[in-house]
Amino acid sequence: MSSIDSVLIVGGGPAGLRAAVDLAEMGFSVVLVERRAELGGAPIRWKYHTLAPDMRPTEEVMSPLIDACKSNQRVRVYTSSVVSSFSGSLGEFSVEVKGADGSSSTHRVGAIIVATGFEHFDARVDPRYAYGRAPDVIGINELEGMLRTGKITRHDGSTPKRIGFVFCVGSRDRSTNPWCCTVCCGVSIKQAIELRRLLPDSQIYMIYMDIRTWGLWEKLYWDSMEKYGINYIRGRVGEVYFTGEKLLVKGEDTLVRGPIEVLFDMLVLAVGMEPGEGTRQAARVFGLSLNEYGFLKPRQPNIHFDSGVDGVFLAGACVAPMSIEEALEEGSAAAMQAAKLLMRRSKQKVPPYG
Amino acid sequence: MVEEDRESSKREDEGRQKGKFIVERDYIEPSRIVEPSSLTAEGVDISGRWGTIVLPRTIHEFDTSIYERVKRLPGGSHIANCWQCGNCSAICPVAHEHPEFNPRYLIHIVKMGYTSEIERLKDSVYLCSGCGLCSSVCPRGVDPQHVMIALSLAFHAKGGS
Repeated sequence: MSSIDSVLIVGGGPAGLRAAVDLAEMGFSVVLVERRAELGGAPIRWKYHTLAPDMRPTEEVMSPLIDACKSNQRVRVYTSSVVSSFSGSLGEFSVEVKGADGSSSTHRVGAIIVATGFEHFDARVDPRYAYGRAPDVIGINELEGMLRTGKITRHDGSTPKRIGFVFCVGSRDRSTNPWCCTVCCGVSIKQAIELRRLLPDSQIYMIYMDIRTWGLWEKLYWDSMEKYGINYIRGRVGEVYFTGEKLLVKGEDTLVRGPIEVLFDMLVLAVGMEPGEGTRQAARVFGLSLNEYGFLKPRQPNIHFDSGVDGVFLAGACVAPMSIEEALEEGSAAAMQAAKLLMRRSKQKVPPYG
Repeated sequence: MVEEDRESSKREDEGRQKGKFIVERDYIEPSRIVEPSSLTAEGVDISGRWGTIVLPRTIHEFDTSIYERVKRLPGGSHIANCWQCGNCSAICPVAHEHPEFNPRYLIHIVKMGYTSEIERLKDSVYLCSGCGLCSSVCPRGVDPQHVMIALSLAFHAKGGS
């Protein structure tokens, strides 16, 4: 196989896997490099129970992609590995892949797709929510794992009755991250519905600034009120105390202009999305630009796949916060761009298949 | 009309009299000032100025009892759909005249169970003229016109009279 038939994909999450599967099925060979030990990205690492908006089990979406990458001979998977160097020119790049075990290999590739994803915001950075100090204050990422087990328990093993969700934790705030993570409203509401199904006697209060269930995800928001009786409080939380038994949540309901100090059994923080170390490392190696927030900056803000470096394409949440459905589509879009480039440079009009 | 004006100005006078010695008195609504006619603590008479209590504004509990009652009444069956957009209050001809009548706000305080606000505003529900404009513009099918009737029934039952 000549170098121009190969594509390097950095990142084995939804976008990277989708790109790898698409390229392999088109007949190209793929070098898939994942920094962590396991393929699947954030949905697998955090054990997402189901995906918004239709509550489809995560495995239904992710397993076919992971299995296809593992079984397709055209995809060579390097886990616990990073790309350490990059050289060459458009269509004939040379990259070095280094493993955590000290192994190293060099690959000649015609195009590169960077799909390094995101990290969940670490709520310890914003001390007002007592995350990491008080028990029963968890992130939406951690609640996914709990929903998966079907057992929702407090620190003492009891079942929570009153559960609060705090939206925009580490988002839309100059002291942490000023952007909107775009999915946490929908994900939180999906989780609230799942909690009501598991715990029909629970009272759930969503403490929000704005509800941004864009597009068809709006149905989650409507259903949560109309079918599940989930309550919404417009306002913010200023402080959380653990009384030794329950969480005293101090905040304001801006619709009554009144302070509230109400006891909750459990508080779920809708933590936002931010660029991770994998994205910064890829930017250094490939010479990609970062925007003011640290996400990879495309040449044009509305064309995500174009990195500004010829032959290097971008996909997924390393460009901007996005849902899994969008990341999958961006993976496909980047794969198409890489295929277009390789086919244009190839003497063959049709890629080898079979 | 004249009779009513006299009544309301009498109430206002009473409100102004309450806790009149409090510095920056204007920041506190009269309904939060409690002046017991006599008060003793550990056998000591602390009637008068010392016994004046200012109730905090802070909401400490969500009391959903009225909400649960409203949901079961025919007019209130869709109250859970309300997302506080305010279309009802925007079009309400009564709300334009009476600042204390606000259908959106009444629905919110009932849903959240803010009992002191309900106590303060429960009589305002009778200002509703039943014109139905609110229900014609409600985007979620809450039917505020009939919610107001349900609220008046629920408030009435709550009062026990």
